[in-house]
Amino acid sequence: MGIAENILKRVGLGANKPSGDQPVTFWSRNRGWLLLAVTGAVFAAYPFLPFITDYWIDVAFFVGIYALLGLSLNIVLGEVGLFDLGHTAFYAIGAYVTAILNTTMHLPIIVLLPLSALIAAGFAYLVTSPVIHLKGDYLCIVTIGIGEIVRLTMINNPFNLTGGPNGINGIGGPNLFGLAINSSTQFYFYTWVIIGVIVFGLIRLQHSRIGRAWNYIREDATAAEASGVDVRSYKLLAFVLGAALAGMAGNIYASKQMSVSPQSFTFIESSLLFCIVLLGGLGSIPGSILGAAVVVVFPEVFRQFASYRLLFFGLALMLMMIFRPGGIWPRKREGTGLDGLGIRGLPKNDEDLIPLGKPDPAILRPAATAVVKGVRLPPVTVVMDEGMLLQTHGATLKFGGLTAVNNFDLNVRTGKITSLIGPNGAGKTTLFNMITGIYKPTSGHIDFLGRDITGLKPHTIISYGIARTFQNIRLFPSLTCIENIMSGPHCHARSGTWDAVMHTVAEVREERDIVATAAYRLDQVGLWKYRNELAKNLPYGKQRYLEIARALATAPHLLILDEPSSGLNDKESEDLMVLLQALVKEGFTLLLIEHDMQVVMGISDWVAVMDMGQKIAEGLPKDVYNNQRVIEAYLGKEDD
Amino acid sequence: MATFLEQLINGLTIGSFYALVALGYSMVYGVMKLINFAHGDLFALGSYLGYTLLVASSSWVTVHFGLWGGMAIAMLFAFIGIGLAGVLMERIAYRPVYPAGRLSLVVSALGMSIFLQNGIMALWGSRPQAYPAAVVPSTRFSLLGLPVTSLQVVILLLSFTLMLVIWFIVEKTTFGAAIRATALDRSTATLMGIDVRVVIFFIFALGPALGGIAGVMNGMYYRAISFNMGWTYGLKAFTATILGGIGNIPGAMIGGLLLGLMESLFAGYVSGAWKDVFVFVILIAVLLWRPTGLLGEKTAEKV
Repeated sequence: MGIAENILKRVGLGANKPSGDQPVTFWSRNRGWLLLAVTGAVFAAYPFLPFITDYWIDVAFFVGIYALLGLSLNIVLGEVGLFDLGHTAFYAIGAYVTAILNTTMHLPIIVLLPLSALIAAGFAYLVTSPVIHLKGDYLCIVTIGIGEIVRLTMINNPFNLTGGPNGINGIGGPNLFGLAINSSTQFYFYTWVIIGVIVFGLIRLQHSRIGRAWNYIREDATAAEASGVDVRSYKLLAFVLGAALAGMAGNIYASKQMSVSPQSFTFIESSLLFCIVLLGGLGSIPGSILGAAVVVVFPEVFRQFASYRLLFFGLALMLMMIFRPGGIWPRKREGTGLDGLGIRGLPKNDEDLIPLGKPDPAILRPAATAVVKGVRLPPVTVVMDEGMLLQTHGATLKFGGLTAVNNFDLNVRTGKITSLIGPNGAGKTTLFNMITGIYKPTSGHIDFLGRDITGLKPHTIISYGIARTFQNIRLFPSLTCIENIMSGPHCHARSGTWDAVMHTVAEVREERDIVATAAYRLDQVGLWKYRNELAKNLPYGKQRYLEIARALATAPHLLILDEPSSGLNDKESEDLMVLLQALVKEGFTLLLIEHDMQVVMGISDWVAVMDMGQKIAEGLPKDVYNNQRVIEAYLGKEDD
Repeated sequence: MATFLEQLINGLTIGSFYALVALGYSMVYGVMKLINFAHGDLFALGSYLGYTLLVASSSWVTVHFGLWGGMAIAMLFAFIGIGLAGVLMERIAYRPVYPAGRLSLVVSALGMSIFLQNGIMALWGSRPQAYPAAVVPSTRFSLLGLPVTSLQVVILLLSFTLMLVIWFIVEKTTFGAAIRATALDRSTATLMGIDVRVVIFFIFALGPALGGIAGVMNGMYYRAISFNMGWTYGLKAFTATILGGIGNIPGAMIGGLLLGLMESLFAGYVSGAWKDVFVFVILIAVLLWRPTGLLGEKTAEKV
């Protein structure tokens, strides 16, 4: 499928896959290209229209600058959901790098374009990596702080570099192989061609494992980490890429204005960028461009009202958020079908995808030597007891004075179903959280497949082969079901930013494998027909299955389920038991926390009982069922 | 030593402005989980309201009620005016947007901030205005060896009284318990029979109203006021809020005073030009070292 068609499909304009009763016409086949051609023609013709003066060409140029900035912030705020209200800092760095190096060392502007991007990106990496773990409003206030520090530094003129409050004058213009860019029209084309290239790259990124990983983080960072996304790295990547684009915008701005000064990089600029992304629609590329058009053109149209224009603008922002909080052009995910994923070479018929994802039996061989395709595990260093897949040794976790899990030894046999039961608050989920790396044990260690996994990050542990579900379902609510499950194979894929933008052969193959695996698992839990529904629209029971499918798609050795039957009715619980037993047959090892004794006694091979953080019994289901201490833990001690 | 004491008093005075504005931030944040970006602009508006009352009436208030009386009336005027403005702001800009989520609220708050700032500019002009010397009490005297003005003493006393009153309301009264309950869990609070609308009305009236008083104090202390000063004050007050622990009332007070002190000492001994950079570096350092602030409680995320 062509990139043009992809672009339009993404934004909900493209032709849907023609079904049988709809004839394939020239229009439906080429709609994408036609619309792209029309857009291109409008852009090319704009400066030559009779009523367009140089003034309005400059306005279009500034729409371009803000579109570029909006797109750059959209990566951070729209795709990853990080509140960045200091994005102007990166724009300022790009502009000042260009100004300083051009006026002092006379480096050509065109060379400074990538250099500004690089330095802004490097700066972003340095300043955001210590604070990237901060959440929501805390990160927001730090970015505001960074923005202010950069602006104040420029005013204070350190080492006579920045020219103080007056800034730097006399910056040259770009020179493209002998063609000097001077006039308004030339700058207009120069800017919009650059934006065109960037939009192409951004769309490719949006529809790769990188774009999806960003969205997983935005939807639920904990679930993303637990599904194998290296949250920290992907957040940093977003900041670095966003800063690079903002740095480029700074370069173009400086060369057009021929001067820079701190007044151009105030907080109000950052808040305008924030508004651009929200006005356009979170994570929407055409939305960011439209948002920029609104923010730039609106005050121009109201120029006759001079000092009142920002007053109206503030009012308009509020009204917009009241009446259209989703933005002007929100990104639509449902309704574009699997084509909307932007993956090349998928079968014509969606159903043909399912068998392609059937795992190679060798992959799931439940043995210590089994290796998931593409995963390089560290060497085996720990000797484990015979037949054990996972063992915790004296696992202990203390929260302040409270010992949630105390010296717990859990043994999980390969290819069996082990259940962990116990009263509410016994510490079962906490133990799971230690195994999966969400908490680091205070003492003790956890061995898995002959490796000590104590204290590793969740995304690393999942790539070793431990997948989990959550007690309170944690899906990616605003993504489609298939996109949810595509997070599973993410941790085994290797394509990076460049592969995604260039659509390398390996990347395309990898993407196809990912979607095929997801399709297979979705079908396995009976949710195939919901593949293009948003996860949040599924009923509760189906959401549980979706979460299980997501965990399965990571091709784990061990599947940890935290109260899988909670909230299910009797019929659904029975179906679940059938599914779980089928999974064991397929070669998975299961570890459950479960309250439904019907389920526990029905399918468990081994049961461990936890109370007050300690193991009070363990054995075959029927032995545990009659164990006096277990009965006491659940029902309380009888008074003599 | 004299410089130190001067900076100390100066820092405490600025700090008490920050603290009063921070209180409003903290109360609104605690209940609404919203950084009210327009809060600083309400502070500026309060400053202008007080100015208008004192100046536009050709100092009529000061002439009839004396310096202190005039000041008190200006503060009361700003208190009521900004309280009303706060409630209106919640009705217009926040309540309709609330269902749309946090990000939309942030944009609405930014829109409100831009609106207020430019509204002040449209009404009072873009040039800075000055509280005339005639309306500002400025007797200088020495208090236990500290060189102070009567204005500073009154500002400090009044700020501390206000802070104590707020602390008492929030921590010791039944209504305060309702506020704290709403902050912890709005839906449970509703189920327990707390009228959340009343709580929201109260915090959006009282929080900004405190900022309005601080605005008048600030105008009297520095004399010069400008339409865009709200942003800087708002940001610093928010820093103070974070410093003390967001949503924590005593934290906001301590954060504000500390910030004022640090800023003023840094300006006095190191560099005036870099003092704001210093403030933000402190902010980031605190967030790294203690993300929940000095008095905030650590909370583990439930997984």
